[in-house]
Amino acid sequence: MSNTEQLKAQLAELGQAFRKRLEQELPQLVRQAEQLQDAKQVEPVLQQLQGQLHKLAGSAGTFGHAALGERARELEQLAKRCLTDPAAAGEARKRLREGLCQLPQLLNQSRPEPPDSQPLESALPDEQGQQHILMLEHDPELARQTSQTLSNFGYRVTTLEQADSLIAQLDSDQYAALIIDISPEVAGHQALGALQHWQAGRNTPLPVIAISTDSAFAARLEAVRAGARGFFTKPVDLTVLENRLRRSFEVQQDDPFRVLVVDDDQELAERFKAILDNAGMRVETVLDPAQLLKRMNAFQPDVVLMDINMPNYSGIELAQMIRLNDNWLRVPIIYLSAETDTVAQMAALLKAGDDFVSKPISDAALLTTVYARAQRARLVSEALARDSMTGLLKHADIKEQVELEVERALRTQQPVSIAMIDIDHFKSVNDNHGHAVGDTVIRALANLLRQRLRRIDRIGRYGGEEFVAVLPNCAAADAKAILDSIREAFSALQFSSGSKLFQCTFSAGISACEAPDWCLDEPLELADQHLYQAKQQGRNRVIGVLPS
Amino acid sequence: MSQLQRILHIEDDPSIQEIARIALEVVGGFEVKTCDGGAAGLAVAEAFAPDLVLLDVMMPGMDGPQTLERLRELPGLLYTPVVFMTAKVQSQEVEGYRALGAVGVITKPFDPMQLAAEIRALWEQWNVEH
Repeated sequence: MSNTEQLKAQLAELGQAFRKRLEQELPQLVRQAEQLQDAKQVEPVLQQLQGQLHKLAGSAGTFGHAALGERARELEQLAKRCLTDPAAAGEARKRLREGLCQLPQLLNQSRPEPPDSQPLESALPDEQGQQHILMLEHDPELARQTSQTLSNFGYRVTTLEQADSLIAQLDSDQYAALIIDISPEVAGHQALGALQHWQAGRNTPLPVIAISTDSAFAARLEAVRAGARGFFTKPVDLTVLENRLRRSFEVQQDDPFRVLVVDDDQELAERFKAILDNAGMRVETVLDPAQLLKRMNAFQPDVVLMDINMPNYSGIELAQMIRLNDNWLRVPIIYLSAETDTVAQMAALLKAGDDFVSKPISDAALLTTVYARAQRARLVSEALARDSMTGLLKHADIKEQVELEVERALRTQQPVSIAMIDIDHFKSVNDNHGHAVGDTVIRALANLLRQRLRRIDRIGRYGGEEFVAVLPNCAAADAKAILDSIREAFSALQFSSGSKLFQCTFSAGISACEAPDWCLDEPLELADQHLYQAKQQGRNRVIGVLPS
Repeated sequence: MSQLQRILHIEDDPSIQEIARIALEVVGGFEVKTCDGGAAGLAVAEAFAPDLVLLDVMMPGMDGPQTLERLRELPGLLYTPVVFMTAKVQSQEVEGYRALGAVGVITKPFDPMQLAAEIRALWEQWNVEH
């Protein structure tokens, strides 16, 4: 995000907060105006009004409510006259009262030109549920292949050969990502500068995947400067490219980072909370360190921000306590301290903790440190929870999901389907083409499942070439239709091994917990039996629940 | 000419505090410390060692001119340029603030996009004069 865009976003947020504040304060001013009618004790009321109006005169215009600010200034002068000129007081007080009563209305009419009226761009799927990808590629064969592969994965792809229309094309639709060939000899390379400039004007940069014949440092650097989230040298492994594309969307859609602030100084803790909240993070504060571990469990923070000097406890001791628990080993702990003595800092870090920020700390420095730590921690913990090759849930986790979803189905009386999927003749793929190619096939199926299934569906890698999908709110018949369409898409994927092209298929078995029985003791076993039948009947098919 | 980097902002209105902070940090690239009153500002002024102080004129308790007077009693802030911020704009008032030792006056309402540039201009002018 460029500085200007960031500023606009922040100003818009502040503007909203200011409006909320006025919505509370202006009615208060009206109430005070009513008190003015009681002639005995007007002086303190007038003084208070003058102060508040003075403040409003200064702030309203700054937040774009020019007319309101002007009016407040006039009323401030009027309040002053009431106080200093007793002769005019009666008439002036009446006008002041009327003016104050009109302020809420003035706010309602005030439509400050918001510094940022554009919606946040996002890579949301379009009406057909497809993410639209733009590809700038001069080689028609590579463009065709990529386009083909990505549409098999469920994306919509527009290809472009000429770089000069790139920016116009980017502006013409809500693209989810750009794939650009930046090989030094082709036009895409010259478009990089324009692309960089275009990116600077967006709230959120468009994910870019760069392709090049040149793998040198300089080429990678140029790619990164243009906002690249992925860099591939030719020949491009399209499955890996799709994988990277998907990951770049996931980063954008991530949950906000969770930050736990441990500080006995309530005001300071509130301030940190405000700064981090403002940057879209979720913040909880712990004032009483005795509550720390309980709150850790309830909140599951990505980062802990810890005051190092607290009465009764030191931040280092608390950090060591956190580290006693295996579950919290991966959570970064950042100390807040007035300590600038590097020897003392080193000693603290040796005991526990990951980083120091020294008070006084600027908001920008705090934000950067927390953000960087949180981002890294999130990546690491996701990598640990997921199967490293496919990014899907691991065996034990998907089994747990099956149990959870079946329980939920029974409780809510909404159907759930379970699919067990196995790639056909996978052993011969490995034997004929080698394990590396076999792995590509597995990843391709994983990506395809992720692409075609819904976000609420759970997908796991159950064994070598075996997958399990859990589909909540989905009856067996619907699950069969969905899996059949995925099966067709998968069989159309072109895999390459050296110069040879080949295709793969899969078989699947489905079980479901649904009306009328709602009874499913061994969902995975039943799905497995149906999978076995599919294999027996000649493979490349899906066997669902037989009508009873 | 030395670089303008650290700004101490003393202001009691939280809305103005926030918008000025963003305007100065994001647009200007300055490091800003915000205090919500004269007393709080005096307490941190020496430790923060600002290059410039931005001071609201009308505050409850200690007002801007009083705060300025007390700031000058701190050895580290004897020569630090101070800019007043106020909603009043009559020119004789501006002269009055200058007489108190302020290098300039920013009037409220201000344009958040321009605040950093205004402060920088006052800073440069002050540097030329000193």
